[in-house]
Amino acid sequence: MKKKEEETSNRPDNTAFTQQRLPAWQPMLSAGIVIPGFVVIGLAFIGVGVALFVTSQSIQVLERDYTAGDESSDHNCSLCVNEASCLCAVHFTLVQQFEGPVFFYYGLSNYFQNHRKYGVSRDDYQLSGDTSYFTDPQDYCVPYQYDSKNRPIVPCGSVANSIFNDTFKLYQIVGGQRKQVPFDGKGISWWTDYNLKYRNPSLVDGSLAKAFNGTVKPVNWPRAVYELDTSDASNNGFLNQDFLVWMRRAALPDFRKLYRRITEGEYEKGLPVGNYSLEINYNYPVRGFGGRKKVFFSNVTWMGGKNQFLGIAYLVIGSLCIFMSLVMLIVYAKYRFPDEDS
Amino acid sequence: MYFLLPSLCLDITWEVRANSGQFHRQLQRKSFLFFQWGRYADNTMRSHKYTLLNFLPYTLYEQFQRFANFFFLLIVVMQCVPAIATIPWYITVFPLLLVLSVRALKDLVSDQGRRRSDKQINSRSCDLLTSGGFQTVQWRNVCVGDVLRIHKDQIIPADLLLLYSTEPHSLCYVETADIDGETNLKFRQALASTHTTLASGSLEQSLSSFNGIVFCEEPNSHLYSFRGELRWQEQTQRLDTEHILLRGTVLRNTDLAYGLTIYAGADTKIMKNCGKVIVKTTQVERILNRVVLGIMVFVLLVDLLLAVGSGVFELQVSPHVEVLAALGGDSSAAYRAFLTFWGYIILLSPAIPMSMYITFEVIKVIQCFFINWDLQMYHADNNKPAHARTTTLNEELGQVGHLLSDKTGTLTQNRLLFRQCCIAGHVYGHTQNNHPLEPLPHPTVSISQPLDLSWNRFSCGGLQFWDQRLVERLVKERCPQSREFFTALALCHTVMTQWKEGAPHYQAASPDEEALVGAARELGWVFLSRTRDSLTVSQLGHTYQYQLLMLVDFTSQRRRMSVLVREPGGDLKLYCKGADIVILERLQKDCPHRESSERALDLFAQGCLRTLCVAVRCVSEAQWGAWRQALEACQALEACQAEAPGREARLEELHNCMEQELTLLGVTAIEDRLQDGVPETIATLKQAGIKVWVLTGDKTETAVNVGYACSLMDPDSSLLQGDQLRQLLQSSDPDVRIHQNKKSEIWSTDKKMLGDNTTIVINGLELAELLAVPEWGSRFVALANQCQSVLCCRVTPGQKAEVVQLVRRHTSSVTLAIGDGANDVNMIKTSHVGVGLYGVEGSQAVQNADFALAQFRFLGRLLLVHGHWSNQRVCLFLRVFLFKTTSFALVHVWYSFFSGFSSQSVYESWFISLYTVMYTSMPVQCLAIFEQDVSAEGCVRWPEVYQKGRRMEHFGPRALAGTLLYSLYSSLVLCLLPLGVFQHLALDLQTLAVTIGTAAMFTATAEVVIETKYWTKYNLAAVILSLFLYFLSTLILHSPRLHSISPKHYIFPGVSINAFGEPVVWLTVLLTTCAAILPSMAMQAFNVVLTRSNTHRIHSQRNSELSRVNGTPFHRGAARRRSSYAVSQGKGFGRLITSGAGLRTAAAPRQSTPHPAGTDSIKEHHLPHPAGTDSIKEHHLPHPAGTDSIKAHHLPGNAHGEGSDRL
Repeated sequence: MKKKEEETSNRPDNTAFTQQRLPAWQPMLSAGIVIPGFVVIGLAFIGVGVALFVTSQSIQVLERDYTAGDESSDHNCSLCVNEASCLCAVHFTLVQQFEGPVFFYYGLSNYFQNHRKYGVSRDDYQLSGDTSYFTDPQDYCVPYQYDSKNRPIVPCGSVANSIFNDTFKLYQIVGGQRKQVPFDGKGISWWTDYNLKYRNPSLVDGSLAKAFNGTVKPVNWPRAVYELDTSDASNNGFLNQDFLVWMRRAALPDFRKLYRRITEGEYEKGLPVGNYSLEINYNYPVRGFGGRKKVFFSNVTWMGGKNQFLGIAYLVIGSLCIFMSLVMLIVYAKYRFPDEDS
Repeated sequence: MYFLLPSLCLDITWEVRANSGQFHRQLQRKSFLFFQWGRYADNTMRSHKYTLLNFLPYTLYEQFQRFANFFFLLIVVMQCVPAIATIPWYITVFPLLLVLSVRALKDLVSDQGRRRSDKQINSRSCDLLTSGGFQTVQWRNVCVGDVLRIHKDQIIPADLLLLYSTEPHSLCYVETADIDGETNLKFRQALASTHTTLASGSLEQSLSSFNGIVFCEEPNSHLYSFRGELRWQEQTQRLDTEHILLRGTVLRNTDLAYGLTIYAGADTKIMKNCGKVIVKTTQVERILNRVVLGIMVFVLLVDLLLAVGSGVFELQVSPHVEVLAALGGDSSAAYRAFLTFWGYIILLSPAIPMSMYITFEVIKVIQCFFINWDLQMYHADNNKPAHARTTTLNEELGQVGHLLSDKTGTLTQNRLLFRQCCIAGHVYGHTQNNHPLEPLPHPTVSISQPLDLSWNRFSCGGLQFWDQRLVERLVKERCPQSREFFTALALCHTVMTQWKEGAPHYQAASPDEEALVGAARELGWVFLSRTRDSLTVSQLGHTYQYQLLMLVDFTSQRRRMSVLVREPGGDLKLYCKGADIVILERLQKDCPHRESSERALDLFAQGCLRTLCVAVRCVSEAQWGAWRQALEACQALEACQAEAPGREARLEELHNCMEQELTLLGVTAIEDRLQDGVPETIATLKQAGIKVWVLTGDKTETAVNVGYACSLMDPDSSLLQGDQLRQLLQSSDPDVRIHQNKKSEIWSTDKKMLGDNTTIVINGLELAELLAVPEWGSRFVALANQCQSVLCCRVTPGQKAEVVQLVRRHTSSVTLAIGDGANDVNMIKTSHVGVGLYGVEGSQAVQNADFALAQFRFLGRLLLVHGHWSNQRVCLFLRVFLFKTTSFALVHVWYSFFSGFSSQSVYESWFISLYTVMYTSMPVQCLAIFEQDVSAEGCVRWPEVYQKGRRMEHFGPRALAGTLLYSLYSSLVLCLLPLGVFQHLALDLQTLAVTIGTAAMFTATAEVVIETKYWTKYNLAAVILSLFLYFLSTLILHSPRLHSISPKHYIFPGVSINAFGEPVVWLTVLLTTCAAILPSMAMQAFNVVLTRSNTHRIHSQRNSELSRVNGTPFHRGAARRRSSYAVSQGKGFGRLITSGAGLRTAAAPRQSTPHPAGTDSIKEHHLPHPAGTDSIKEHHLPHPAGTDSIKAHHLPGNAHGEGSDRL
């Protein structure tokens, strides 16, 4: 018996795996499956596309360009060409109710926030509240690492330094009187950014300002990071909402960022018909690089803001599938007949 | 020293002093790392590469020779430079280390295997003469100059000069199966001087005092030539191959042999013959390397363009944007563009699929396991499964265009069986196996009963002949012709006997002869023993002694052999056996049974049996007296003029006139037993479009015979050989390329032939001429490609390799060489794929082969199933892999147009690192392991499928260009569609990164899903698992915990949670994925729509093929009758017999009356000899290295002359 075992000791195992006889599903595709399959996919895409398109159509968007230097009847920001900081206003009239909740965005164009060197010019250690990097910011922040007197900048780097600093106030003109529309600035940044990613340094003697001792503000900033919001003490430091929104880099040179939401009081249901004036504290220079500044009012649905591209793209791909199934049908019809005999 | 070097041997510079170990050990060759010094190699086999010391540097050196590895090392270095580090260094170093360590581990394991086998060989034992007598030592301790003692059946450990053996005249027999594949015995003989002097006293003493010095040529690879001289006792004696025992041969039938080590280890002839280890790369791999290089160049070019774009951007845009201008510092735009260039090199480097190489190798190893595991390639008889020894050549198995096969031991079993005979017009024996296309029925299931041979006490079994009628006739003494027939078989041969356990065992120079004498023995005509001038035969139990008067051996010219004997009754008989043509023309007029015998010959020829005619002539005393006088006259002539020119011709004439007026006794038919399933396998392979060439050391006739038997040639195919072939090759006008187009023209010189049905037969000599002229080579190959098959006969191992090279040079097709013996090693190594068969003895072929099989018939499955699958899988894998890496990495190119050419990464850096090794690797690996486009049965049933692989349909330029264009398109879609969606949204760059990353990962997975046609549970699990892993690791990498540990390296906290919460991200991913794989889907769908007609085409092709085969009338006319004759393959023993040298029992006194052929046995070796005249002369000829054996074929009588030139 043992000898017999030895004689066949090299015999390979007879398993489905070793003999490559694993049970397998072999999809037997045929023209009868493939062509209808393409039709179904195409129709599904067209269906989604139509739904998206219709949804997108229902979204109201109001867009105003307020770049200085343009002559426009809508706004008087052309006055702000030379002044470092000026007040101007954009006027608009709503002829129908702007359904709420209304989101208010600012937009910049031709602004390369997705430039690599711009993007890396930040110190994540600082921003996560690590005070050891306050005195010694990382090299990525060059040239906004130290100021001219070699004092460390917090928050260092180009991204923080270039924060968008126009401010807006919206007024409804009711009977010649300006009535301010309340802006909601809470929760405009990501929950994860506000709660997890960015951390203020621990307070020193109960004061945030003291935690930043020995550091200076970014060169372009009028005020230090711990006094960004004078009206709300908790909205300061790295956890300032506008700061958080700005620090999240845009994907394209033309981008928009959420500024405020209109969710309070009588404007909770939306902006009623009427005349409005958007008062702008015009600070941010864009003329140098031919950039544009815009504001957007938009309401949102489940698919976010108005986005016709997505719907159209679905429609195009869907139609392409249908078209291809047609071509296949023709080809099949042409080649089918000689085979049917056999 | 006593002599100057003789003038005729200028290169005889190798000096070996016997028993002077000190002298040789000083000069022993040593090596350290890559340096070597010293002269004499030791006898250690070193096929392993690594030692503990050199492993790390060596493996790193080897691995960084691979361009991809080196490139990635550079990338890693570059990533450490902050100014250009677009992605962090650990992103590349992780896969690189993985690649390096996996490969190093694999090399180490295979090297360990080699080390083990080396050790096994090196520790074989042999007896070495020391001052204290013979001691058993290991092979590795043998050194040049040592005197060794070899026992019977021991393997000879080094190239030895035979000094003495226990046989008379210091003859000894060796088996050279491991060197040339021939299993018959060869003899070697020591110099007379050493024999007599050493034997005179106590052997050990005289051996230890032996102080001869051998001068010979430097170590070389010529197995069949040796030039040297022994200087001893103030005498110089010439040495040639006759005196040399080669390493690897086995001592047989000789109790002890003593030899002086001349070459050891790496210097031995067999090792020199092994050739260099050539690292074989496959065609697919070469294409792949080119593609990767192409991608690399493309990427560099794109890098350059992007850098230019960056320069323009820095010049035109950046100065105006305060934030960007400040970032640039005071460096110039050009400098910044320069930095960006390097940044882009790093960013786009994932497009170069580095990890593909390692995955590729892993997959091939798994495919090799499938080969090893295949039960249908397991041979139970010798317990050997198939074994893939090289793990890199699998896909090449699917592209073989030329199969070059050895014959003996590969196609045939090298077992000759006496199958049938025709005596006095009666055919005995069954005509089974006649049809070469029918499977061979196993002998045991034969309807015939085994013969009852119990009455024969000498019967040893082994006869596969079933015909009781013949036995009855023999036993009952009813048929005198049949008795005469077997008497002839028992007398007319050069076989020698050896008695073992009371039964005679035969040693023959030719297996044919052994089969014939053995058959006669089984049937009662037992050849018992021979002396120089007598033969003892037992006929049905009665012992008779025949006096041997004359023996004329076979030569390839004569194609017959004769013996003249005096019967016990006093009558003189001349028995003659030989090829039918030769014998038939020598028959007396109106010889009885002539026509019936010719019919039998045709019948046997149809059965692919080797035939011989046996005839007899009664000789009167008067005739013999006249002949004797003539012979003596010749002898006298010889005595006075050593090399009289006319002597040979006169002898020839004399023999010729003796072999006349013969009476035909009968015809023998011997089957050269094919291995199981050979004809079917060859037929299938031919159907698969593989050109089959047979290269054999055997004679043309035998080879042709086997060629027909194994369906290499159709029964009605014609042979193109000799002068016809020469004319075709030489004719002034043929430009083969023209004729390939117009097939008919090439045959203008010979109109009756048709290319499809022709076989080229060429012998070693013609081949040598052909190889000398380069144009002929290409013409020959072109011609051969139009023919059905090619037979190369009488070729040396070197020529076999040259033929392989010829095919390689002049065609682009993949060559596969298969063989079983050491003589095939060269060819196996030269070909693209070498397959070794486990031989009966010797494993040289297997040791050097890429794949080892137990049987030739497994080759069909290896090629058609495993080869096809491997090829298809590998090509599919590579295409999908190229797609997944390039489509994912090239997104960066498109994105740079939106990011100011700043080399901003679209993806998270971790994603880049894990994408290839984790997220997308498993499904594509499963695809490469399990995919089956055609089932195993289908592959065998429709061999035409195989041609797809050879035409490179899966991995040709078109398929590749398609893949690369497709991935370019996909990368564009992957970039533009999400950007299009994002342009009106307030979503950020990191969300975009997750969106595009997810879409890219889905695209790669979906592509695999589309390509997979064979869904096993593993495929499904791999897809699900990699999706799961993607989401899991994304969530982990984006977790705030990791960010809090290292904010700089995990900058994506929470992004995936936010992104996956946005419906628009999902919609974008779905849209992008579908759009990206749309071309592939459409392609597949179109294939499905068009497939019906394709399969139909295969079927119809197959049908027409069949009808063609069936339609061919199976005829093999008498005109094409192939007789082959049992000439020994090596040097016959005829000369030994007539000289009496090899006969222990030789009673005849040395100075006997002049004998037809024999004189002094020792002198005889230097004397011209009817058949071997030129054997000595040819060794004097100065000839260029490597062609010696070829030259020899020019010489007349060579075929039976010098054993050296035969393979």
